[in-house]
Amino acid sequence: MTSAATTGAGLSQADFEKFRDYFYKRTGIQFTSAKRYFVDKRIDACIRNSQFDTFTSWFAALRLNDRSDLLQELINQLTVNETYFLREDYQFDSMLRTVLPDVLALRGGPNRIVGPLKILSLPCSTGEEPYSIALRLLEEWDLIDRIDVEIHGADIDSDVLSRARHASYGERSLQRVPAKWREKYFTPLGAGRFQLDEGIRGAVTLHQVNICDTLAMRPFREFDVIFCRNVLIYFDELSSRRAAENLYGAMRPGGYLFLGHSESMSRISPIFTPTRLPEGIVYQRPIGANR
Amino acid sequence: MGLVRRNAPPPEETAAPPTTGTLMRQLDDADPDCRREAALGLGGVAEAVPALLRRVAAETDPLVRDAVLTTLAAHDTAAVATGLGGHLASDDAGLRTAAAEALATMPVSVPAIIPGLLADPDHDVRVMTAMVLADLPHPGSQTWLAQMIAEDDHPNVVTAAIDALLPSLELEHHDLLRAAVQRFPDDPFLRFTVEAALR
Amino acid sequence: MTDNRPKVLVVDDAATVRLYHRTLLDEAGFEVAEAANGLEAVEAALSTAFDLFVVDVNMPKMNGYTCVETLRSETVGTPAPVLMISTEDRPGDADRAYAAGANLYLVKPVNAERLARVARMLTAGVAA
Repeated sequence: MTSAATTGAGLSQADFEKFRDYFYKRTGIQFTSAKRYFVDKRIDACIRNSQFDTFTSWFAALRLNDRSDLLQELINQLTVNETYFLREDYQFDSMLRTVLPDVLALRGGPNRIVGPLKILSLPCSTGEEPYSIALRLLEEWDLIDRIDVEIHGADIDSDVLSRARHASYGERSLQRVPAKWREKYFTPLGAGRFQLDEGIRGAVTLHQVNICDTLAMRPFREFDVIFCRNVLIYFDELSSRRAAENLYGAMRPGGYLFLGHSESMSRISPIFTPTRLPEGIVYQRPIGANR
Repeated sequence: MGLVRRNAPPPEETAAPPTTGTLMRQLDDADPDCRREAALGLGGVAEAVPALLRRVAAETDPLVRDAVLTTLAAHDTAAVATGLGGHLASDDAGLRTAAAEALATMPVSVPAIIPGLLADPDHDVRVMTAMVLADLPHPGSQTWLAQMIAEDDHPNVVTAAIDALLPSLELEHHDLLRAAVQRFPDDPFLRFTVEAALR
Repeated sequence: MTDNRPKVLVVDDAATVRLYHRTLLDEAGFEVAEAANGLEAVEAALSTAFDLFVVDVNMPKMNGYTCVETLRSETVGTPAPVLMISTEDRPGDADRAYAAGANLYLVKPVNAERLARVARMLTAGVAA
């Protein structure tokens, strides 16, 4: 710390409430007063890093929207970005127990389905999410022997995609993978790294794409299930709307969309139908007459 | 294994995208999905703006309308602002709120139409204008909202403007709020709101 | 903690209106939750069985009429009474509200006594 008077947001209760309302409106994420200390510290860090003097001036710039880096950093500070195998696993439970049986029923049942089931992970980052889906299907879905499933992963960042292709992971990323699965599907590379089985790597198709780019998203079609977790919160109003529209276009009518556990479509777009499953809210592309 | 298969061509290998001319014709297609995709496909195409504005007015399917507005709002031009501004007076609640949302994302071109909206004889239009200003990322928003609170003669417009101003309320606005209560002494909601804000 | 008071969901994009209605309804003996637009209300109603909805008309993402239609549709299918409160007083607005499935349509501002009376009337029979 250099000079004196280094901020210390020292938020008043009114400021905190203003901030909380703004952040909720912007991202759909809500903090309780119990998180006050955590939020204060993170806001402090944001103000300091972006070289504002006071909460008021920083907050005014944030609200005016003319510096997207401010919001990006704020979200980074206030959310956990880590990706690892079987993260938010309850959504995969939901997929296996409720979503896949329903999707199969919509498509005529396991004996009459035409074409593969298609699952998309977007953004897929370094691959943990699409590979987790593959592992859970192989280990826990009793119809995997009878039904073809295509798993696709997509991300805007070519660096993470090449790491996803190589599929070698450290202990931290694998901490939730059961020992039996690790033995069966991973090969030790030394230095605490483990590489995923070639068969699974080869079965997951990876693509580079910007979710907001309608033309680039156009080839993504007829997906039965899409995981789009913890990315829409980073976008401004119009970008998140366009991303939602593009996801809709990528889905089969009746298909299911999973967002991150703190995210909600209710701040983004009304085009999906929210559906309550035992494990939480998911979104469906409406089936309707023509759609 | 082989049970998780990649047995389809990668998406990149599918057909070429339709031309602008095709997409503009498809805006009037009988199939709502076709209209919706055409509207999204016209993102960034300036020559499509008049056709998209006509589609907003004619469209009855809310999903298609949302797609058209997502594309239109990204243009943020005077023609789009004026075109959408007219819908704030619509009898269709879905259309007027969707238009307000789109306008709130257009900080370049919306300021020019604000003075006209603030002077609109229909108080419902002025309430919708407060809704636009609540979210419009523009440094002038506060000033216009303060002006509405000070001058508008309809209590529902004043309370909508107060609600919109509250997130950025400054000490300098306190007298404005007190004066509003005195102008509408019979409005219990206005009194309650101002008391809560000043507490 | 158990709460036997009837549950009401206040649906309005204006934070000041939510606070006002929350305060009045709390005093009138209701347990109050809030939603800031129609879609949030639909999501909330999927997770919680409310005894009453108080719904605004002009809201982003999903307006009040569509919200009420969705609450009544098979997506949610709630039988709970719906009170719509709007700034709008154009001809035909009330008809639209009733067509969507609302039980009562009022124009703002609604004073404390009237809101409490109407809310109790609509929820008569729900254990308090």
